[in-house]
Amino acid sequence: MLGFAKGLGYTLKQLSQKKVTHMYPDVPIQMPSRFRGIQHFSPEKCIVCNQCARICPTECIQLTGKPHPDPEKRGKVIDTYDINFEICILCDLCTEVCPTEAIVMTNNFELAAYSRDELFKNLEWLDDNNTNVREEN
Amino acid sequence: MLQWLNQAPSLWNTTLFAISAVLLLVVLLGFVTYAIYFERKVIGWMQLRYGPNRVGPLGLLQTVADVAKLLIKEDTRPKHADKALFALAPILAYAPAFGVLAVMPFTDKIQFADLGIGLLYYVALSGITVLGVITAGWASNNKYSLIGGLRSAAQMISYEVPLVMSVVGVVLMTGSLNLREIVLAQQDVWNIVPQFLGFVVFMIAAQAELNRTPFDLPEAESELVAGYHVEYSGFRFAMFMLAEYVYMFGMGTLITILFLGGWLPIHPSLSFIPGIVWFILKLLLYVFFQFWVRATMPRLRADQLMSFAWKGLLPLALFNILLTAAVISYQNGMF
Amino acid sequence: MSTSPATDIRTEEMLLNVGPQHPSTHGVFRLVVKLDGETITEADPVIGYLHRGTEKLAENLTYTQIIPYTDRMDYLSAMTNNYIICHGVETMMGLEIPERAEYLRVIAMELNRVASHLVWWGTFLLDMGAMSPFLYAFRDREMILELFNELCGARMTFNYMRVGGVKWDAPPGWIEKVKDVVKHVKKQLPDYHKLVTGNEIFLNRIKGIGHYDQRTALDYSLSGVMLRCTGVKWDLRKDEPYSIYDRFEFDVPTATEGDCFARYQLRMAEIEQSLRILEQALEQFPSDGEIIGKVPRVIRPPAGETYVRIEAPRGEIGVYIASQGKDKPWRMKFRRPSFVNLQILPELLKGVNISNMVVILGSIDIVLGEVDC
Repeated sequence: MLGFAKGLGYTLKQLSQKKVTHMYPDVPIQMPSRFRGIQHFSPEKCIVCNQCARICPTECIQLTGKPHPDPEKRGKVIDTYDINFEICILCDLCTEVCPTEAIVMTNNFELAAYSRDELFKNLEWLDDNNTNVREEN
Repeated sequence: MLQWLNQAPSLWNTTLFAISAVLLLVVLLGFVTYAIYFERKVIGWMQLRYGPNRVGPLGLLQTVADVAKLLIKEDTRPKHADKALFALAPILAYAPAFGVLAVMPFTDKIQFADLGIGLLYYVALSGITVLGVITAGWASNNKYSLIGGLRSAAQMISYEVPLVMSVVGVVLMTGSLNLREIVLAQQDVWNIVPQFLGFVVFMIAAQAELNRTPFDLPEAESELVAGYHVEYSGFRFAMFMLAEYVYMFGMGTLITILFLGGWLPIHPSLSFIPGIVWFILKLLLYVFFQFWVRATMPRLRADQLMSFAWKGLLPLALFNILLTAAVISYQNGMF
Repeated sequence: MSTSPATDIRTEEMLLNVGPQHPSTHGVFRLVVKLDGETITEADPVIGYLHRGTEKLAENLTYTQIIPYTDRMDYLSAMTNNYIICHGVETMMGLEIPERAEYLRVIAMELNRVASHLVWWGTFLLDMGAMSPFLYAFRDREMILELFNELCGARMTFNYMRVGGVKWDAPPGWIEKVKDVVKHVKKQLPDYHKLVTGNEIFLNRIKGIGHYDQRTALDYSLSGVMLRCTGVKWDLRKDEPYSIYDRFEFDVPTATEGDCFARYQLRMAEIEQSLRILEQALEQFPSDGEIIGKVPRVIRPPAGETYVRIEAPRGEIGVYIASQGKDKPWRMKFRRPSFVNLQILPELLKGVNISNMVVILGSIDIVLGEVDC
């Protein structure tokens, strides 16, 4: 019977303890600075080296480049850049390999949507997703 | 009130009787609503959570919203279920739960029927609920509900025996089965003191009768998914839930009356506080204990449950009867 | 016919499908159980509902790309999974790991072991109908996950280790935070024992249940706590020290009963030992240094094959890598402790009352992501 009493005593003591619930949708959660959220993509930095698309373990990145509009300059500029968040596992490898930090992680993580189509993010969307950008990459 | 109830029936007072019964039902529904709220809050606090806090101020309307959801839900029935029994089971489970409250003296004035055998009436009527549970388990045509139904049949019938036996001591001391007289006999000292053993046995057996932790095997959600009511949804499910909580109210009332002195104050000097307040306080104490145990205990195992009833509780209850009888005989100068 | 009515009653076996959606199978696991009354006569586990073909997928991925896939095998202790693949490649290539990286790895793995055992403790009690331990365990696990979140930016799928080291250095003040959490968990453990271990109902439910002997355990090739509960003192951290485990002082708790209670006690004792390792590792943590060694840009292990194994929270996790000198493995095979330990389940369940089923299954401590891989 002593075991019961001890257990009951412990639960009773918890009544007045500090609650650990996050009031999540009301109070936004601050993620630590290294948090891997949805990527931010800045097209002006991109050199279309294709490394991110190649390293991606789930092959969720698709990109196309076009010749530089200024005929003087060599190289390519980015034309389309899509990430399919249905299969993206936010593993951080694309930001790790990017030589110019064109693709970086942000602390935003709210991806829920009513339709699968909305999970397909294009260049404009990723460019606009420019809040809480991670500093260290 | 009793005089009034015993009048010859006329259109006028029959209507009034019906209204007062409805009033009790409303009080009861209010109790169930807030017992569920209170349960979730208490368990939430014990588990370092806030409990319901989204619907209404402090989440007070959470249960109302839940019930509203249950009422507008589709009433599903498995294809091969026994139609008639499937519909009958929730009624069988719920009706006696409400019926037992008729004999409960909440105070010396508020009581619906002053039966000479009030205690027996309670025990007999509450036995019917087992039928509802077995019927539900059988009629659902689901293996999990069948196991749950059979388990609860075994459990509730087994624990009814020590439950009744443990009260015999109280009856012996009072010399009556009338619940009002049992309360009045506790003027000097509550039965919990002289009948402590009986009280302990009664508490444990009552827990099993109510199918609550640690005896919640019939609806063990981690083994049997939900036991006998796994196939029920919507309003029929609500009836089972209602029956469970009304029984908790009933059992709390009974314990208050039998062992905690009913509406009597702790000390005669505190009698300026109305009896109903005392009654409610004692009832709430019991209800809180229920939730507290639920937040702490794991569940018993089915086979250990049965041997505990027959080998543990029943001998204790019998010993209690023997002891009480011996003491009473001694006091009456038999030896 | 002149048989007596008593023998004439026809009884049937009942076939009960437990799962794939059942609250106590800890994932999508199906158990087809034949019941005679309430006694189990035969149990047939059906697995594969979560099969993703990690091993086959790995053949088309570079070694770095495989690391995030291992996160999703044993998702309760992804750090050990991260480690095993890196360890395998490093062994093949003979890479030198900087000391600071080794310490970070050990700290991460041991923290993860504590977190994993806490989840097990909570869910095991939840299977038995006690709700509160689950929430207490998750409160403490949450602190550890917070630490991981600060360290590598994810709470469960870490992708933290890399061939040759780790990806991130400890952020400023992190080591101090780990020390606090270790202290906190250490303080909570006696309370947990008070709440659960002394409870008579709990003891009656798990003592003597799910018993097997040493011979059976070895025949089934069990590992981890499942093996140690029969008296075999076998812990790869001690017997085949990998990483820097030979620098720490810790015990390998064993028991001889071989029942659920022994397994319960061992896992609780392992939390304490992990905390001991953590304390030492945090004390010895080098103040600076590299976190990743000299690794070629493209990782190409030399042709050949290797098998390495380490001690995961659930037992021996191993990886077999066959390389042809390319940047992708030719064949990769994971030895998953959950999968191997699960094989004993049909034998344990035979002749057991159905109410013991979830307890026995719970005491094996499986993670379905790892069983199905």
